[in-house]
Amino acid sequence: MKEETSNNSRRKFLKSFGISVGAAGVVSSFSLIGAAKAATKKPAEMVNLLTQDGQLVQVDKNQLRPTVNEPLDELQKRGREGIPGKSFVMVIDLSKCRNARKCMSACQNHHQLRADQHHINVLQMQDAEHTAPYFMPKPCQHCDNPPCTKVCPVDATFKRQDGIVLIDNERCIGCRFCIAACPYSARIFQWTEPKDAEKYKDLTYNIEANVPQKKGTVSKCLFSADRLREDKLPSCVSACPNGVYYFGDRNEDAVTNGTTGETVRFSKLIEENAGYTLMEELGTKPRVYYLPPKNRAFEFNGDLLNEENLH
Amino acid sequence: MKNTIKNIAALFLIFIFSGSLANAQGWTVPNSAKKKQNPYEATSKNVSTGKKIYNLHCKSCHGDPTMANMLPLAPVAPTDLGAQNFLVQSDGEIYYKVNKGQGAMPTFEKTISDEDKWMVIAFLRSFDKNKKVKQQVAEVKNPEVTDVKLELNVNEADKTLLAKLSGITKKGKRVGLQGIEMSFLVKRSFGYLDVSGEDPYTNEKGDVAVQFPADLPGDREGQVNMIVKVTDDAFYGKLEEARVVTLGVPTDPVNPLDERAMWGTRANAPIWIIVTFVGGVLAIWSVIFLVLFQMIKLPKLAKSKD
Repeated sequence: MKEETSNNSRRKFLKSFGISVGAAGVVSSFSLIGAAKAATKKPAEMVNLLTQDGQLVQVDKNQLRPTVNEPLDELQKRGREGIPGKSFVMVIDLSKCRNARKCMSACQNHHQLRADQHHINVLQMQDAEHTAPYFMPKPCQHCDNPPCTKVCPVDATFKRQDGIVLIDNERCIGCRFCIAACPYSARIFQWTEPKDAEKYKDLTYNIEANVPQKKGTVSKCLFSADRLREDKLPSCVSACPNGVYYFGDRNEDAVTNGTTGETVRFSKLIEENAGYTLMEELGTKPRVYYLPPKNRAFEFNGDLLNEENLH
Repeated sequence: MKNTIKNIAALFLIFIFSGSLANAQGWTVPNSAKKKQNPYEATSKNVSTGKKIYNLHCKSCHGDPTMANMLPLAPVAPTDLGAQNFLVQSDGEIYYKVNKGQGAMPTFEKTISDEDKWMVIAFLRSFDKNKKVKQQVAEVKNPEVTDVKLELNVNEADKTLLAKLSGITKKGKRVGLQGIEMSFLVKRSFGYLDVSGEDPYTNEKGDVAVQFPADLPGDREGQVNMIVKVTDDAFYGKLEEARVVTLGVPTDPVNPLDERAMWGTRANAPIWIIVTFVGGVLAIWSVIFLVLFQMIKLPKLAKSKD
């Protein structure tokens, strides 16, 4: 009795297996015929293409499909992980800044920001009544003890292993706790539809550049993390005409000037020029270092919108 | 009549004024400054040093001398510093302008040393067609050679690099090439760090030794990528040797996320937060369950009392 039932079930299984394999065969042969037909239709036009490993191949033009955008998941994953072994730092030499504002426009271009939105902003500073005024570019400080990531209720803003503090606009719910927590006012909020929203609506979101920007979320300086992946300096650093910015890897003890391309020892640069960080008393441990505005390359011209300053 | 004279005078003034504006490049230099002479001789060493400083501080705006590839700035574009109409100026005039700056041109009075400024002027003078005579000829002359070779010896014990530059003379003898500047460059993320030191010129044997910095970090094994090359391609073409050397300080990159911290990831929350949070949740639930059990017990208690 027992054997019979087991036999039955085996027979049933074999039957259904046969049917499904047969069906699959028919379907696949159909599709093969279809493909062959398509291939024989217009064999005329062949296109030369370079494969990823550098081989030149010929492909039938009929078989060409548009490339799939880099999938969001992959971008999100590598954006969270960061670049292993690196520890990025920036040094800003205040004695060289003359408020040319090239850093700001390069940044706004890169991150699709309007002219009134700043990931980096050049401020006119005067510390006290009788001290000399100076210009100070202020990006996100990418703190080693960031107050902003502590308060995020949805794990949208985070610090990566290479020291960069990023924000994931896909996760951000727009509560703006991080804006309140940041002592450097480094973050902005997209109150309205971002610039060129219509133009970029089909672009895959890149967490390392915060583009396309999303309405109702927070955005901030990212040290151009997408450019760093290609061993390029951040947009602001390479746009500066006056040699204000140095950028590099603290693990390598070297920073490179974006204007001159000169690479110097980070520790020596800080030591010899009395480098400091902003509001170190808060214990935020910033990764952006400033060199004091001593021996200036330009005379201070206080008028922010002075034509002479803007070229 | 008076009015017309006034008008003409006004027009004349405007004309003069606009003339001086249009001639904004007409940068007046005091006579005392014009007379200054370059105290440094135009040796190839000085010219090469000047070229280095030029590339760092001037090239980003002025471009390469004589190439006219300066930044297209408005309203006044930077001058081509190798052009003859610039080089008609005296050393002192150029020195004054470098020091003072004007408009978008920075003041280099304190940012680079006097010596460096004169070196740059010596470099610019090397493009001057009228003052070629001043070039010093007291430099070492290397024989004409073929098959120039660059050899690199690395001494890992005392962290020195020894480069040897040699070529074969017409007589078929391999000789060292003297007085050639070499660059010792260490690859970093965004550029090359120059570790050549003060005097990276080959001696009469064609040798040059460089001390590698004792505290420069390498990777986990202390390895760094190095390029040693003849600084100026004009001598023997592009000659360089790339090598991985184990001269750096072995450095283990610290991952800040390994540390338990408030700002870190969920998995790396501080122990005290995990303990207090889990403890709090457990305490609250146990109180609720305690109350529930007591309530279940109540009817039984009432029965037993009856």
